[in-house]
Amino acid sequence: MGRGLRLLRGVVSTVPGALSLAVVLLALVVALAAPWLDLADPVAMGREVYKAPSAAHWFGTDNFGRDVFSRVIWGTRVALVVAIGSAVLSIVVGAIIGAIAGYFGGLVDAALSRLFDVFLLIPTFFLVLLIVALFGASLPMTMFAIALTTWPRSARIMRSQVLSLKSRVYVQAALASGASHRQVIVRHVIPNGIAPILTDGALLMGLAVLTEAGLSFLGLGDQNSVSWGRMIFEGQRQLRLAPWMSIAPGVAMLVLVASLNLLGDALNYAMNPQLRTRGGAPRRRGTAPPPADEPGEGHGAILRVDNLSLAYRVGRRQIVAVDGVSFSLSRGGSLGIVGESGCGKSSLGSALLQTVPNNADFLSGTVSIDGQTVLAGGRPIARQGRLRIDALRWTHIATIFQSAMNALNPVATVERQLVDAYRHHRRGASRAEARERAGAVFDLIGVPRSRLNAYPHELSGGMRQRAMIALSLMLEPKLIIADEPTTALDMLIQDQILGEIEELRRRLGLSLILVSHDMGAVSETCERVAVMYAGRIVESAPTSVIFSRPSHPYTRALIDALPDLTGARRKLASLPAVTDQATCLDACRFAPRCPHATDLCRTVSPPVVTLMDGHDAECHYAADFAPQPREELVR
Amino acid sequence: MRLLRYVFYRVLQIVPVALIVVVINFLLIHLAPGDVSILLAGEDANPEFMATIRERYGLDEPFLQQLWSYLVTILSGDFGQSYRTGEPVIGLIMERVPATLLLAGSSLAVAAILGTAIGTAIARRPGSFLDTAITTLSIALFSIPVFWLGLMLILFFAVRLQLLPSSGMITIGGPRDGLGHILDILWHMVLPVAALATVWLGQYVRLARVSVSEVLAESYVTTGRAIGYPERTIMTRFGLRNALLPLVTVLGLELGLLLTGAVLTETVFAWPGLGRLIYEAILARDTPIIMGAFVIMSFTVMIASLVTDILYAALDPRVRL
Ligand code: SF4
Repeated sequence: MGRGLRLLRGVVSTVPGALSLAVVLLALVVALAAPWLDLADPVAMGREVYKAPSAAHWFGTDNFGRDVFSRVIWGTRVALVVAIGSAVLSIVVGAIIGAIAGYFGGLVDAALSRLFDVFLLIPTFFLVLLIVALFGASLPMTMFAIALTTWPRSARIMRSQVLSLKSRVYVQAALASGASHRQVIVRHVIPNGIAPILTDGALLMGLAVLTEAGLSFLGLGDQNSVSWGRMIFEGQRQLRLAPWMSIAPGVAMLVLVASLNLLGDALNYAMNPQLRTRGGAPRRRGTAPPPADEPGEGHGAILRVDNLSLAYRVGRRQIVAVDGVSFSLSRGGSLGIVGESGCGKSSLGSALLQTVPNNADFLSGTVSIDGQTVLAGGRPIARQGRLRIDALRWTHIATIFQSAMNALNPVATVERQLVDAYRHHRRGASRAEARERAGAVFDLIGVPRSRLNAYPHELSGGMRQRAMIALSLMLEPKLIIADEPTTALDMLIQDQILGEIEELRRRLGLSLILVSHDMGAVSETCERVAVMYAGRIVESAPTSVIFSRPSHPYTRALIDALPDLTGARRKLASLPAVTDQATCLDACRFAPRCPHATDLCRTVSPPVVTLMDGHDAECHYAADFAPQPREELVR
Repeated sequence: MRLLRYVFYRVLQIVPVALIVVVINFLLIHLAPGDVSILLAGEDANPEFMATIRERYGLDEPFLQQLWSYLVTILSGDFGQSYRTGEPVIGLIMERVPATLLLAGSSLAVAAILGTAIGTAIARRPGSFLDTAITTLSIALFSIPVFWLGLMLILFFAVRLQLLPSSGMITIGGPRDGLGHILDILWHMVLPVAALATVWLGQYVRLARVSVSEVLAESYVTTGRAIGYPERTIMTRFGLRNALLPLVTVLGLELGLLLTGAVLTETVFAWPGLGRLIYEAILARDTPIIMGAFVIMSFTVMIASLVTDILYAALDPRVRL
């Protein structure tokens, strides 16, 4: 039950979560203890009617002389009985039916899903009201009616949980070992899928309390029980004479329902912590003034990166994604940055553009683009309150994102997006001018102008990627960062697009950084290659050298994973899977997966070895590996 | 053309749901304790009327035949008569719809506009103190029982301060036409709208916060920032524009909840709408009205969700028609 504890810790770690949990628990205790508390009889009538709150009657008395405080406390019992009763009923029925729908799929699922949808469209309160009106008002009937209208909610959640669970290993294993469907559902599927339903259960309870109160308020409450809704119903008529009669139960209800809703909310966030903080506007970061000794526009390398480090804060942990990376790119040059997913290559790309998420911090680093420093000592450069990078965006440095990932605004046509970008940077350019430029760029990349009017989703994957390329070219930038520009496209289109990018680069004299997991893609397009592993560049060299004399075991593994001439792709799985990322600083990060690791590797971090001019590798034995033909190293 | 086909299919999908609602109604009547004809005609109906009712709903025929007769009767717009007045239910209900629409519509407008603005604003700083505080507050707001809030508003603004009217839609003996009439109605609307809008405001703040921050995590927003648009443009052209569409859908889906709130609010403020009618029907045990109201409410929600879906399809180029 480690997961239960973790959830609990997640809930109480926020103020609203902790408070709401406390209130709900308190309400439970009060409800259970009500008979033993020294309370006035909630239904005993007295002669002291309409008494305002006093020491004897904390919340006053009502029109029959009954003690309002005592009635509110006893009302907690009714509220919780209704809440728990309807929620449990709804969850049990819903979880079973939802599990059946998701587990068996096919026609069963189709039919049941339609049924859930129907209930979504029925105004539940009125159905409950009708049922109670027809069948007579009582607490059990109310609970039953509420559950009858809410079970499809639980069922829908369970269904989607089961659908995702079904493919998991342990369920498959259980089935393979000959367990019956019923056993698998009861032992594996329901226990694992129940967490989100329970979260929803807190919300269901709140809804049930409000529904019961609403019914009571319309005169359809249980005549024999002390419910908050009934108290408000009765208090309404005495509003002028004895307002306390309706104030107290309402406050009690508000506090309980709000706590239940907040608890549901806190549980949801405890299960998905990233939901709470993702998105948002970029935060302000401490800035620095431009340094005095920069070469200035048009001078020096197009991009220079020095000791760049970037870390993400996740909860209380800090994950260093880019760790002291340095390189430079000459004007008109092209560099491929290669590595597995999670190696920090995309973080590096967004760090250069300064589009990193809010939970990322620059730990160090200096970056200059076209001779102008945009980041120094880990601080963005700003002058007169304006970020330097803002002035360079799209006119000097542009980016091509992977368009399969929604890189274009889905609600605007391609032309609109090209035109907007153009006019944002060329102040005073007319719409016609911008349109002409968009058309010219489309001509340049060889896409018919007629496609300009399409929305992104109307284009094929390849076309959408070309539209993204067109967008990046709108303002004739000098440097383009392409982040996995062809991933998720089919092989043929991948090759075409890479060819087109390379062609454009030569023709327009652009500088290019290609970020990719695919050594092959990079080799076709780039003059130089930098291999990244665990946040560091472990080897960099001209492309031909990387392939002829790879000197870092990781580089070799990447190259070996390329499809050979027959087209069969060998898996990088020849390496052991990634263990927890380099926790120990005094070691080679690659040592846990390296077939050549020695004790030296595990205790001393390797130096950068320069094998020849422009070929560096970060490995103790780089010099030994370099001259060897590749095959001998691969077992 | 594609839109038209989409509309056609969506309408087709509604039909079984509508049928199921009517069938539920039918089953409930038959399962309920007591004689069906009494439920339909009222306890003190005279024998002749009872006989016409049995005739009309085919109560002496086999079960399935009865279901068929019931379906035909309901779908032809005949919901029976009120016990008390003998008037057709459909007429009574339709008479009340405008007042409910006025109340619900204005509250919805206030809540949706204000809520979207606030929700968008706090979505800019997710996880900040302000975000947590406002999110918590908005959850508290939609946890308030709306009828209780109405009572508290009456207590404070009508009883204590004697500032605003506590019930009804018009002043008795007040102006009956022209600007004075409109102002009078507006004046009576202040408190009920405040009660309803407050509760819904909580919903909308929360919805807007969630969907805007979801959109802001999308890659096209990063593209927008890389292009160098100022945050204001990002928020409107990328954020809100994309977040608004799911908001509209939820609006359609939650209409049932909205109507519930409206009915309860009307009861408190004696607003002469559907809610009031239902309340009076419950007190008088006038079952045909309650059943009629359930069916009409269900149809309304269905049609509203249909309309929002079509609106969505027309607004959002992504929806595959
Ligand atoms: S330093 Fe050692 S562990 Fe690291 S890559 Fe080189 S040989 Fe492998």
